[in-house]
Amino acid sequence: MSENIIELDNINVTFQQKDRKIEAVKNVSLHIKRGDIYGVVGYSGAGKSTLVRVVNLLQVPTAGKVKVNGDVFYSNEAGKETIIDNSKLREKRRKIGMIFQRFNLLSEQTALENVEFALKHSNLKEREINEKALNLLKLVGLENRAKSYPAQLSGGEQQRVAIARALANDPEILISDEATSALDPKNTIQILNLLKDLNTRLGLTVILITHEMDAVKRVAKHVAVMEQGQIIEKGTLHEIFTQPKKKLTKEFVGGSLEAIAALKTYHLAKLNENEKIVQLIFTGNLISEPITIKLYKEFNVEANIIYSNIEVLGATPVGTLFVIIKGAPEERKNAVVFLEEKGIVVHNVEEGELSND
Amino acid sequence: MIEFFEKYFPNVIYQGWTGDGGWLPAIGETIYMTFWSALFGGILGLIFGIGLVLTDSNGILRNKTAFNFFDKIVSFFRAIPFIILLAFIAPVTQKIVGTQIGTTAALVPLSLGVFPFYARQVQVALESVDNGIVEAAQSLGATYTDIVFDVYLKEARSELVRVTTVTLISLIGLTAMAGAIGAGGLGNMAIAYGYNRFANDTTTVATLLVLIFVLVVQVTGDFLAHVLNHKKK
Repeated sequence: MSENIIELDNINVTFQQKDRKIEAVKNVSLHIKRGDIYGVVGYSGAGKSTLVRVVNLLQVPTAGKVKVNGDVFYSNEAGKETIIDNSKLREKRRKIGMIFQRFNLLSEQTALENVEFALKHSNLKEREINEKALNLLKLVGLENRAKSYPAQLSGGEQQRVAIARALANDPEILISDEATSALDPKNTIQILNLLKDLNTRLGLTVILITHEMDAVKRVAKHVAVMEQGQIIEKGTLHEIFTQPKKKLTKEFVGGSLEAIAALKTYHLAKLNENEKIVQLIFTGNLISEPITIKLYKEFNVEANIIYSNIEVLGATPVGTLFVIIKGAPEERKNAVVFLEEKGIVVHNVEEGELSND
Repeated sequence: MIEFFEKYFPNVIYQGWTGDGGWLPAIGETIYMTFWSALFGGILGLIFGIGLVLTDSNGILRNKTAFNFFDKIVSFFRAIPFIILLAFIAPVTQKIVGTQIGTTAALVPLSLGVFPFYARQVQVALESVDNGIVEAAQSLGATYTDIVFDVYLKEARSELVRVTTVTLISLIGLTAMAGAIGAGGLGNMAIAYGYNRFANDTTTVATLLVLIFVLVVQVTGDFLAHVLNHKKK
């Protein structure tokens, strides 16, 4: 299945504040395929929460087109604004689950009642609502806390109740707005695994808003990076990680930037004419190849490892290696060709990147 | 015992239990006025308080005109000192209950006097509900009615009990003033039969009875507010 379940086209969100105009989202287009886990990363204030609220019209955009699961929710193109009818929107919203950083559970209602609240307008009978709510709590592993009030639950448990509530109307989309940002690492991993599991088992499309790259690394299939209301880079998780283009993306991806910071302290002046720093990125089974030895044997190029790191993206390990390669220019060139033929991404670290900004 | 009262509280005994100027009718009138004006003023205040929160710029039905309407009316009635309000709306009272004096007539100014105070209190109580919870409810496809009853009123119920307690206590204070238009009650007892006749013992007992009222309301309110709160346990 590869049709788009969410299509945001040329979305603008502008807030009017007295005599100041704030452009929270600027001309953003984002298409998300059914069954995807799409990570949207950026610092707070980048506009990611605003953008994602456009999907269920919690935030009505100023311009653009919002199409979800075949229904046009909003369109304002060429000055003609149409918004989906209110009661229809409510129905459609039930098919778009949403979870939040601060859980936002009804604090005066028990875990079970919170889930039942979501089913208030379903066609189920009272007994069936109760049964379904209990089943949902079971799904998130909290059937024994059904009678507890949110304040009696831990953060991770509250978020799981929120997930059960968000799933109550069998949605096809789940929006997670910084849902793990208030949780400790252990709970974060549990929640992310739960989301991934729901994605695999129910085919749920997940939008993951976060400022934590680790969360995205763990579960996302596609990633978009936002800055100042715009998407500055997007692609598959692998692309974004192995070939980040924008500075901010590199910052988020970490690893290489940390390495570069470390390299700055290196005395580059000490590099000889025949030396050059390169970054090698390789995926999966390439990691086990004895590359440095091959370089020396076959190309007479020495490779001195100065930084290395392995990360797991989804399920594939991705290795990063910063090496100083030493050899005649011609030999170095051949070596690079060899590496690229092997499927290794070779990135020349220019001296400019290493100088202080 | 009786001798003790006869010695130190002669005027109190002189008033008697029943009949004109008796203690029981006075207590009854205070309860009557407090109850009915709390009901009318309370409903009006609740409606205005909810209206203010919903139509506010952060509200789910944001509407500047409606908000200004609620806001101006509340501010207007809130600005008039109660004793003046009594006189000011006397013609309206006449229209509604057919008389300008007496206990029932006092219900009109009492209700109008207490509702803006309550509306503001309700507004503050409802604003204590996290916007995120309202947003979550919206994301679940909740209707406006769901949001008012299941989110705002239910989430803020403990706060609402608290502000209702405060309002009831200040309402008991207002009923004492209603004596000025012949509404009777304990306030009237303390002033007309006590203070004006130099019967300090009558004033003292009337005051004590008002204090007991206030205490009962306060203790009940605190208890309910505690029981209904599940936010921190």
